[in-house]
Amino acid sequence: MKRILCPAVLSVLAVLALPAAVWAWDAQALLDLVPTAALVQQGPAWMQTEFTEVSGQAALSHNQTLAEGLSVSGTAWGMADTLPSGTPLATPPGKIDIESRILELKLIWEVVPGTLIWDIGKKVIHPSSGFFKTPLNVISHGALGDAANLSGAAVGMWEEGWVGTDVTLLVGNLSISNFFSPRLQWSSQTDTALQYVSLQQNDFQNLTRMDVRIGEADVRFLGLLSTGGPGSGDPGVHLLLGAGLDTNIGASITVRAEISAADSQSRLTVADAQYATASTDTVNWAPHALVGATWTNAQQLSVMAEYYYNGCGFMGADYAQLIQYSQNRRNTYPTAPDLLDQFGDFDAGRHYGFVRVSGKIDDKLTAAGWTQVNLQDLSGLTGIVLTFTYDKWSLNGSFMDAWGTADTEGGLSPLLWKVDLEISLFL
Amino acid sequence: MKRMILATLALWIAASAYAESPQELLARIDAGRYIPDLSFVLQMTSFDGEKQLDSNTLWGFVKGLGGENKSLIAFAEPASVRGRKMLMDGNIVYLLFPKTTNPIRLSPLQILMGEASNGDVVRTGFAQDYDVVSLEDTQRSGTACYLFSLAVKESRRDATYKKVQLWVQKESLRAVYAEFSTGDRLLKQATYSDFRNALDRDIPFAVDIHDGENPQKHTVMTYLKLGRKTVADTVFRRDYLQSWTPEQPK
Repeated sequence: MKRILCPAVLSVLAVLALPAAVWAWDAQALLDLVPTAALVQQGPAWMQTEFTEVSGQAALSHNQTLAEGLSVSGTAWGMADTLPSGTPLATPPGKIDIESRILELKLIWEVVPGTLIWDIGKKVIHPSSGFFKTPLNVISHGALGDAANLSGAAVGMWEEGWVGTDVTLLVGNLSISNFFSPRLQWSSQTDTALQYVSLQQNDFQNLTRMDVRIGEADVRFLGLLSTGGPGSGDPGVHLLLGAGLDTNIGASITVRAEISAADSQSRLTVADAQYATASTDTVNWAPHALVGATWTNAQQLSVMAEYYYNGCGFMGADYAQLIQYSQNRRNTYPTAPDLLDQFGDFDAGRHYGFVRVSGKIDDKLTAAGWTQVNLQDLSGLTGIVLTFTYDKWSLNGSFMDAWGTADTEGGLSPLLWKVDLEISLFL
Repeated sequence: MKRMILATLALWIAASAYAESPQELLARIDAGRYIPDLSFVLQMTSFDGEKQLDSNTLWGFVKGLGGENKSLIAFAEPASVRGRKMLMDGNIVYLLFPKTTNPIRLSPLQILMGEASNGDVVRTGFAQDYDVVSLEDTQRSGTACYLFSLAVKESRRDATYKKVQLWVQKESLRAVYAEFSTGDRLLKQATYSDFRNALDRDIPFAVDIHDGENPQKHTVMTYLKLGRKTVADTVFRRDYLQSWTPEQPK
């Protein structure tokens, strides 16, 4: 087991020592019980195994006004997990794995109040409005923690930000922001301590965003100039461009559309499906696009539908080869790289659809059902979520099931089903 | 004779010039309760009959009135919603959850479902958004009142409430009761009470808003604190929400 009194905790104590808050402290604790059925490799064979992961997470946030137009805000997060690997064959050495991070910690200065804002520190930047996929979240570390995110959302509850500086200019209906995040690397000895506080930043990133309100529509453009990308060893400078639109149609529908594309993106492709060998290739300006709408009726029922186009995904004969490769990998070559999961869960194909229906059952209880479908082979994931909320706590029960025949992406997923029982405390 | 006719005409013209039209009277009623650059702490408690369902405490500030209204609101209590921030810019509403950085857009119907829709009732600029269709004298709770029948202006056809019936005490010019409807369907009934002098205005510190279809369901909105804060127009932008650190009014 790793040390419990880690630097992240010390940082939290340091933040606690600040003068009395203008804005209250915000804390959330989460206990998750996640019974799961999955295919687990034992020797040359895969076997269905049921296991239960138990995890506890806590996050403490605070906003503090230091002076007129000057404030500091931060969030620290920690987690104890019995099965961080997600497989019962790899339990942590000390039975429980401890992980912690400073997710955000930034000083915000309104140089010209409401017009020119400068902040420095660590922050998360998510310009995307997508729920199922987020083409405009071009700098993202991904969700922290291994607790199940069974709502079908692309963005997890907690995510670590990037250290950098952001300048925002708001003029009329226009806002322009520029976030610069430098390389931050340190020795492996230092990393032993700092791993509880922050990830290293292997690449520099400069993200410029422009948002403009045209009538009732919000239109945004972004450009990212960076070396290789998060965690990469590619020293070359790359460009990524994106654009998005949000608007309302009538009184009951909101609509969003966004697209992004990078000048080059490497991916693994099938070299030989029969022997499960892979090679790397590069795709240039492959677009990632999302179109979605949310419709709400007077009975408090909400229906969301999104379509996602993954320009890096495979289709046609390439997709058939990928499926054959993955079948052979499972049956004969378990150590071959996993090409189905290389872009994240359920992202190997080109076309995906997502539908989510949610509503209030009574004042405390809400229910949601969702499904995401690989439109090429009609396999996918389906989940239901029930949430019971009180003032200071909520109880969440969810179930997720992967479905599809043996020659589909859903059918080849090692995940069979997953249940999550979650208690949240708000302090 | 000619001189007499001219004198009568002059008097009539002068009288016409000084008489207050119903629309002008309505504007005066609005002015009596309107605080420019209002900052507030507001408690919203919703009930089903006698049973309290929930209670939210909101901090925020408001600029403008009626269709020009813009509000920035932060949820302070209860703990399960603390940290949420909302921007209401006319019919366009953005909600920012504490653990996300991109405000999501809500449709007008989503807003209408939530407690925040009651904010529409509070921030209504009657004269700005509505034309007076008729004005009658009436009694309410034994007090002489004006009864205004209002219809939404052509320029505000997107407003949630197409028609309003407004009862205003004659003596004090306090708006004491209003019914908001789509035209054929009653959406809200608002009773204004606990009038206090604040910031040189006669402000109803409590508004009890009943659901038009299910009057058992109602929300009591109570100002806990009022103040004035002048902010730049750009503060009421979607992109400002993340930088905004809410403060209580001074």
